[in-house]
Amino acid sequence: MKSRLLLIALLLLALGGGALWWLSNQAAAAGPAASLVPLLAEENQAGFAQATVPNAVHFPRDLGPHNDYQIEWWYYTGNLATEDGRPFGFELTFFRRAMTPDAPEAPAGLWRTNQIYLAHFAVSDVGAETFYDFERFSRGAAGLAGAQAVPYRVWLEDWFVEEVTPGRVRLLAETDQVTLDLLLTETLPPILHGDGGLSQKGPEPGNASYYYSIVQQQARGTVTVQGDSYAVTGRAWKDHEYSTSALSPGTVGWDWFSLQFPDGSALMVVEGRREDGTPDDFSNGTYIAPDGAIQALTLGDWELEVLDRWTSPASGAEYPSRWRVTIPQLELELEGEPLMADQELNVSTIYWEGAVRFSGMQAGQPVDALGYVEMTGYGGSITGLQ
Amino acid sequence: MSAPNAAYRPAPVHNRPLWRTAWRRIRRRPFQYVLLILGVALGVAMMVSVDLANSSASRAFELSTDAVAGRTTHRIVGGPEGVDQDVYVRLRRELGYRPAAPVVEGYLLVPELGEQPLRLVGVDPFAEPPFRSYFNTPTADQSGEGLTLFLTEPNTVILSRELAAQYGLALGDRLTLDRGGRKTAVQIVGLLDPTDGVSRRALSSLIFADVATAQPILEMDGRLSHIDLIVDGPEEAVDAQLATLEAFLPEGLRLETARARSNALQQMASAFELNLTALSLLALVVGMFLIYNTVTFSVVQRRRLFGVLRSLGVTGGQLFALILGETAVLSLIGASLGLAAGIILGRGMVGLVSQTINDFYFVVNVQSVAVDAFTLVKGLVIGVVAALAAALVPAWEAMRTTPQSSLRRSSLESKARNLVPWLVLIFIGLGAVGVFFLWLRGVNLIITFAGLFAVLIAFAFLTPGLTAVAMRILTPVGERLLGAVGRMAPRDIVRSLSRTSVAIAALMIAVSVIVGVSIMIGSFRQTVDQWLNNTLQADVYLSPPTLTASRVAGTLDEAVVDAAATWPGVQRAVTAANIPVLAPELGRTVEIVAVDGDVSDGNRTYAWIGGQPDTLWDRLAAGEGIIISEPLLLREGLSIPPEPLTLMTESGPQAFPVLAVFYDYASDRGTILMDQGLFGRQWSPPPVTSMGLFLQPGVDVDQVTAALQAQFRGRDDVVVQSNQAVRGNALDIFDRTFAITAALQLLAVVVAFIGVLSALMSLQLERTRELGVLRATGMTVRQLWQMTLLETGLMGSTAGLLAMPVGWILAWILIYVINRRSFGWTLQMELEPIYFVQALGVAVVAALLAGIYPAWRMGRMVIATAVREE
Repeated sequence: MKSRLLLIALLLLALGGGALWWLSNQAAAAGPAASLVPLLAEENQAGFAQATVPNAVHFPRDLGPHNDYQIEWWYYTGNLATEDGRPFGFELTFFRRAMTPDAPEAPAGLWRTNQIYLAHFAVSDVGAETFYDFERFSRGAAGLAGAQAVPYRVWLEDWFVEEVTPGRVRLLAETDQVTLDLLLTETLPPILHGDGGLSQKGPEPGNASYYYSIVQQQARGTVTVQGDSYAVTGRAWKDHEYSTSALSPGTVGWDWFSLQFPDGSALMVVEGRREDGTPDDFSNGTYIAPDGAIQALTLGDWELEVLDRWTSPASGAEYPSRWRVTIPQLELELEGEPLMADQELNVSTIYWEGAVRFSGMQAGQPVDALGYVEMTGYGGSITGLQ
Repeated sequence: MSAPNAAYRPAPVHNRPLWRTAWRRIRRRPFQYVLLILGVALGVAMMVSVDLANSSASRAFELSTDAVAGRTTHRIVGGPEGVDQDVYVRLRRELGYRPAAPVVEGYLLVPELGEQPLRLVGVDPFAEPPFRSYFNTPTADQSGEGLTLFLTEPNTVILSRELAAQYGLALGDRLTLDRGGRKTAVQIVGLLDPTDGVSRRALSSLIFADVATAQPILEMDGRLSHIDLIVDGPEEAVDAQLATLEAFLPEGLRLETARARSNALQQMASAFELNLTALSLLALVVGMFLIYNTVTFSVVQRRRLFGVLRSLGVTGGQLFALILGETAVLSLIGASLGLAAGIILGRGMVGLVSQTINDFYFVVNVQSVAVDAFTLVKGLVIGVVAALAAALVPAWEAMRTTPQSSLRRSSLESKARNLVPWLVLIFIGLGAVGVFFLWLRGVNLIITFAGLFAVLIAFAFLTPGLTAVAMRILTPVGERLLGAVGRMAPRDIVRSLSRTSVAIAALMIAVSVIVGVSIMIGSFRQTVDQWLNNTLQADVYLSPPTLTASRVAGTLDEAVVDAAATWPGVQRAVTAANIPVLAPELGRTVEIVAVDGDVSDGNRTYAWIGGQPDTLWDRLAAGEGIIISEPLLLREGLSIPPEPLTLMTESGPQAFPVLAVFYDYASDRGTILMDQGLFGRQWSPPPVTSMGLFLQPGVDVDQVTAALQAQFRGRDDVVVQSNQAVRGNALDIFDRTFAITAALQLLAVVVAFIGVLSALMSLQLERTRELGVLRATGMTVRQLWQMTLLETGLMGSTAGLLAMPVGWILAWILIYVINRRSFGWTLQMELEPIYFVQALGVAVVAALLAGIYPAWRMGRMVIATAVREE
């Protein structure tokens, strides 16, 4: 009896061993999420063109891409609302980054390029307290992504901004969850920031960008959220900036404010933020009067106070969430806060970019403004996209 | 020993002493048990090795297919030209369909990586993340810089660190990608570190490049091999997405599932693999005879002991369990040894198997033997079960026999002789079943093989009867020639028929396999040789270098074609272009050979011609239809006359009338001959892939060949060969293909040889006492030698002679049933006397060798000792 048991035991042992072996050979694991980020983190700037002279920006030529500069972006933000007042915010940004200073030698196939495009699309559904953010990568070749000046067009696959008629563009971005389809109409000519469009980023010559905005654009169109479409109108702001520049040593990120007032004026302030929280020397701003007259601001022209902070449950980063801005020369004093707290983009880079509302007094009159704030460098260091 | 008394029942005996008895016997007579273990081990080893070789090849193929497919669920594929890349761009820009990735792929040779065919996969890293995870874990040297180079620098590649290390290559090293002689120098800019072993193995035959790099190297500018898609979600969503995609696709493109193509490819090689498996099973059958023989022998020898045990109260059931238990333990040991040997053997075999698969079916790069547990468990179980089945008859008999008859030594033999008529009945029954199975058409090939085995085993059952008859005839003949010894030897064989006939049957089966397979291979070679002579009538041939035997990578340059066609002494030239095209009804691609003339100059042979034979090629040239190959007809089960065949043209499916069916041994997948004009109207005009030159009468072939070779010296993309060289190469490939069959055949011979040697040897050793008595009564040593060798020699010759007709029948089945159904090839049977002479030689030599040791031992043994034995 025992021997028979032994035999069965032997057989079972052989079978069991085999089964174990088989199981161990079945291990097939799926890899982690995509990471093309190293491509964007290239620090070597040698050989790229640099922004060095004022008044170098010309239209329509400079609406298009500048492939010899390392980085470039076309940044659309805006505040929208339905007729009955349901507010929405949106961001649609196309980033371009050159991997190498020189374009690949001919004969370049249709696919070969040194340009990478990246797009961020976010919609803040303030009424539903829901924030949607999306990111796409593509090579700037084969027609998959690119930009051109005439007729003006920037696109990444089926997300695009393109000129419909002079002074009017269509902006379209579609995803499974949200779709944005807007017509933007210019009300003012492009605004050159800094010194005739040359915006200094650091003390070194060339550590600067060419930067212009088209502000107070009338927006009209639809926002579709989870299958529900809303007819909306509002105001949109376009930034276009290109450079081969780096953050100054000791600067960890920046806070950028754009406000559009009902009277047609607008305000841009950007503070470079040092490790100790104080603004760096190259923080600057621009005030645009309703008639388009520009007033450049430099550090010291304004006072910015953070009144409250919000911690992102997703990234753990702590962002300012209430501000007070005082600009004596404009007789302007405002307090503002986000339309909703969570407008953090958790994509390959973590940053906060969201719709805000500011109100206060200007020259003794009550005033309020809608706008967008961008805060970077709170969720870990910001490299590459700058 | 008391006679059993109905009133007296001995108390039941415990099992433990029985097992001790068995163990003691094994220790005293290890030789027989070693043979049993050997029999099981050899059978299992053969089966496992072939299984492993087959499964390693298909696993390697699956792995590399899966590695390339990743999480792809569907693909957009096109015609021979692939897919216009514009479709991909529109898919993303207009349809906004994002889980889509462009792939450009092709096979090429890399001298720095062992000159083996590797797959170059061109991808867009930006589209990759949802599909393949290899680029998702950046390593130190795959940081921004590596990827930047990969994207921006032409001719940069990424491969697995393991593959690079295997050939001593490092980051930054250069490789040569050889695509049909067009060489491109590339640089390694990244090494992939797959986290798990499966992907590591999968990546060992892949080289990744950016789409922009891969397109020019694979001569696919502006085109993609396919667009990978991930279509998932609930069923309705999938259907909706597929419908949207279908509606979007331009004419000529279609959606297929990711597995469709690789399944179709693997299907093609399955017949080949099944044939190998069947051959390995033959070894197990021979092994089973060996086991049967050993177990029977050990039972017979212990009959006296068993009789005593039965008288002491051991039940028949206990004896049955004892014998089966013994066999189970020993066969488990044998099977385990067989597994180990099978793994070692499999390593050798896998090279041969993958060579053939590469030559005929698809590119597979087997880097290692995948030892999968299923194969091992299967080998173990089949080995043990086969041994138990073989032991069943002797064990049954030990159980059934009454104690007193157990004690009579002759009872088994008289019973065995009584069994002979029954065995003949079994022969008839089993043979009928086998013939019925073989006659069945359109069934799984496994049934056909079952029929083959049934017929073969049926003949084994006929062996005892035939042996008995032969020996009876030989007894008077022997007596006249050799006196008493000559009379005794054949009678001895009949007397111990239960064992001698098993040994003879085993030898007969083994030898008939040798005869059958030899005839089949010989006939095959003869047929192919004849076919080559008929088909290859042009004097000089030009083609790009081949990647594997049946795979031309690349095309002939137009300048080369023009120069060769107008070369002095050339009367006319015919060109051909090979293009795979989808045949929707068959669910797979078929190779079209677009020709502008008959390279056989009218000498080709046809299995069927519709209409006037002498106008066939005029009608083909006029584009009236196509000519298909015999394997296409047979393997796809097409009727004669064949219905028009539907092919996917650039303007959708189109039916082409079949004008004739030609014999073709170059491929078992089927080939279609089509006029180039007709092809050009349905698809884009194909680039020429081969060319045949007919020379003017009196022009020296070698001279023109040499002149053309000199003309194209320095061009790596043209190979100029004379007619003779092409035929020689084709036959070399043939021989290489059958190397594995020959190897298996040889192994079967070895198994049989050992089996017979051991069976006959133990038969003789068993007779020690008997021979001792004979010696005591005056037999000389010389007579002893004579008798022993005569006995084994007679057995060997009987087996060898029986094997001839059986081998012929086996060959007939292999040629006219198995080959036709597996590969669609009709062969002409060629009978060479040498096959039969060889077989007889093997049988007799094995038998005589088996007699030497017992004769020598007996001759030296002191008579008294011999008599005392047992």
